[in-house]
Amino acid sequence: MKKFMIFLLPLLVFLGLLAFLYQGLFSDPREHESTLLEQSMPKFVLPDLMETQKTYSQEIFEGKVTLLNVWGVWCVTCAVELPYLQQLKEDGKHIVGLYYDQDIDPDFGIKTVARVQQEVKEKLAQLGNPYAFNIFDVKRDLSLDLGVTGAPETFLIDQTGKIRLHHIGDINPRVWNTKFAPIYNKLVAN
Amino acid sequence: MLAELGNFSLIMALMVAILLSVYPMWGAYKGHQKMMAMAKPLAIGMFLFTAFAYFCLTYAFVHDDFSVAYVANTSNSTLPIYYKYTAVWGGHEGSFLLWTLILCVWTLAVALFSKAIPVKVLARVLAILGMVGIGFYLFMLLTSNPFDRLLPFYPIDGKDLNPLLQDFGMIIHPPMLYMGYVGFSVAFAFAIAALISGQLDSTWARWSRPWTLAAWSFLTVGVALGSWWAYYELGWGGWWFWDPSENAAFMPWIIGTALVHSLAVTEKRKVFKSWTVFLAIAAFSLSLLGTFLIRSGVLVSVHSFASDPSRGLFILGLLVVIIGGSLFLYALRASQIKSNGRYGLVSREVFLMGNNIFLTAATLVVLLGTLLPLVHKELGMGSISIGAPFFDQMFTYLIVPFVLLLGVGPLSRWKNQSLQALSKQIMIALGLSLSAGLLVNAGFEQSTYMADLGLVMSFWVIITTVMEVRQRIEPQVTAGKYSIWQSLQKLTPSHWGMVLGHLGFAVTLIGITLVSAYNTERNVRMAEGDSVNLQGYEFVFKGISQLQGPNYSADVAHVDVYQNSQLVSTLKAEKRFYPVQRNVMTEAGIDSGFSRDLFVALGEQLKNGDWSLRIYVKPFINWIWAGAFIMAIGGVFSISDKRYRMGSLARNASSAKENPKNLMEQTS
Repeated sequence: MKKFMIFLLPLLVFLGLLAFLYQGLFSDPREHESTLLEQSMPKFVLPDLMETQKTYSQEIFEGKVTLLNVWGVWCVTCAVELPYLQQLKEDGKHIVGLYYDQDIDPDFGIKTVARVQQEVKEKLAQLGNPYAFNIFDVKRDLSLDLGVTGAPETFLIDQTGKIRLHHIGDINPRVWNTKFAPIYNKLVAN
Repeated sequence: MLAELGNFSLIMALMVAILLSVYPMWGAYKGHQKMMAMAKPLAIGMFLFTAFAYFCLTYAFVHDDFSVAYVANTSNSTLPIYYKYTAVWGGHEGSFLLWTLILCVWTLAVALFSKAIPVKVLARVLAILGMVGIGFYLFMLLTSNPFDRLLPFYPIDGKDLNPLLQDFGMIIHPPMLYMGYVGFSVAFAFAIAALISGQLDSTWARWSRPWTLAAWSFLTVGVALGSWWAYYELGWGGWWFWDPSENAAFMPWIIGTALVHSLAVTEKRKVFKSWTVFLAIAAFSLSLLGTFLIRSGVLVSVHSFASDPSRGLFILGLLVVIIGGSLFLYALRASQIKSNGRYGLVSREVFLMGNNIFLTAATLVVLLGTLLPLVHKELGMGSISIGAPFFDQMFTYLIVPFVLLLGVGPLSRWKNQSLQALSKQIMIALGLSLSAGLLVNAGFEQSTYMADLGLVMSFWVIITTVMEVRQRIEPQVTAGKYSIWQSLQKLTPSHWGMVLGHLGFAVTLIGITLVSAYNTERNVRMAEGDSVNLQGYEFVFKGISQLQGPNYSADVAHVDVYQNSQLVSTLKAEKRFYPVQRNVMTEAGIDSGFSRDLFVALGEQLKNGDWSLRIYVKPFINWIWAGAFIMAIGGVFSISDKRYRMGSLARNASSAKENPKNLMEQTS
């Protein structure tokens, strides 16, 4: 009997593996948990996109539940989610943009800040402006600290400045209702 | 019309596969000769129907029938004709048809070339291959039919074959790899047939050994070709990336290597029986698992985003039936197997067992590294990624004891080896390989300790292999019976197979060691006429020209390479643009040589008209693949051994149950 159990071992290991493979089929391999969850926002000092002499730091997130949305005019999916973000704003959500520009980089050719501001203005005039204000991630180091892999990505930040949710991809009614709303409502209720 | 015939032919093949899996098995159970005899014609029928279906799909490709969805997705009217033939396996559906066709080829080969094997065993083996076939046909017909039409609205032209696959390496790599993967199904079928009959003596090992060696040789070549293709086509200059798809091919190869050795022990010494059966099941199971991992999208790979879970679910079902079923049977039967050979603590058996353990450990490392990200995430512990550093480190630890045993094993005797005689040989071999390895490595500038280790290990393998051959022929030569040359000729082909296999491994190891330690690369910005120095080679950028290919346009960089002011080579590195797929491909310019490759890849054009180029000098990189081919040739030598061809011997072997002594005399 003891011998039988030894030879049964491969089958048991295989069955255990099977459970994971089955689960794996129904989850997106690209989606991953952010390591920043339940952490405070990383420290930063960055200018406002429109008024570059004004600067922000991580303290601006304290006291209010905020949605921090990483975006750029070059990003197609961001344009798709702008109208829905606009709706969320009208429902009273506080949305802050983290503007991520690809073109301010010596390797890609330099674009003036005025040019970037112009593009942003045009885009927001066309699709609606959900943002209370936009933080300009000049050298993209805040995005790096946040573990941003692409745009759009959205962070839900609570009143104490802690990150509670990190979503990769666009926000639409389904994502909002299943992923954001439960946490958001709880935070606001406090 | 032909596509419909192809579809019908696939359905017919499924029917034949069902018959093949039922009647011969039933006949073997009942002892009914006629039913068992049906196995061979049914195997031929399954092959013919599948081959016809394959022909129909090829016809659709060659004649640009874009009403067939699969053709529209993977071909284009401007695709060169030779790539239309290979585009048949350029996508999911068609490559699965090729996979199934290859299963039929193996089944047919077993049916035709197994005259020496008892009818009952053959009937069971073919029936099991038929069962595997059923699963594959159902998968194709239900979830990924290559003959689905796009009627009535079909595109005027196709989406074209992925440019990465428009390449010579891709013409031969998948068939070779599949021959290996699917070839393990034969070893699997023999093992299961033996489990069903309960006759797990050494005869089944003898029967399945040539088939396993053949599959292993194909897989060796297939994996090497894949690595070679990645090296020159992807333009990153690397030759192995520990990508899930590479791991999926590498795992069956490692276990297959263990199986080839374990089969030899089981055949010759009648020990490790249950272990060998397990390896046979494991090798094919890992092939199937690899298929699942790549085609279901559970792991991040290039195409996983849009894959549909129904396919994955179906393959998972197949895994449950095939792997789960066989492991269950194994649990039931293996506990009754008794190994009746005896061997001492210092013996070839023990050394081979040790190597088997290291090979299995290596497989587990690859399996863990591939699946841990998935398991970790599903347990809710967050995402992790496991990359090359993990695998490199683990393999560095595992390979040292492995290589040590690889050298000692062939030098020692079966059953019992005197430790004193062995340790003397070990000391000589160790001394020689230490001095050879350190001496060669000292010849390189800025030599590293890792390279020292790698070279000493490689020379250890070479020297012990030569010592083994010398030890084998020495008695005859000193007795004056034969000359050295004559006694070398008297060694059996399967012995030469082992020698070549081990030497090939050493050659690969030398390549890996030197290219890892002394690879040099530079990323440079160059204008016309600029030159750059690397490892004593002067690369001169002569300029860019335009090229119009059949279905692409390209910028071609011309680079002249000088060594000591002598022109060594002129390299052409291309950057191709494929308009249909809107894809840019790098076609590196490579000058391959015995002791080094010169490699130039063309990057982007910069604002001021300069170009960025990547230049590598890769020492001894060709040895990696050359070693793999030597190993595969070793496999071919082993198969050609007369032992496997002579019916009389096989019959003797099967009657050896009554007279085990008889068998011992023949095989020792």
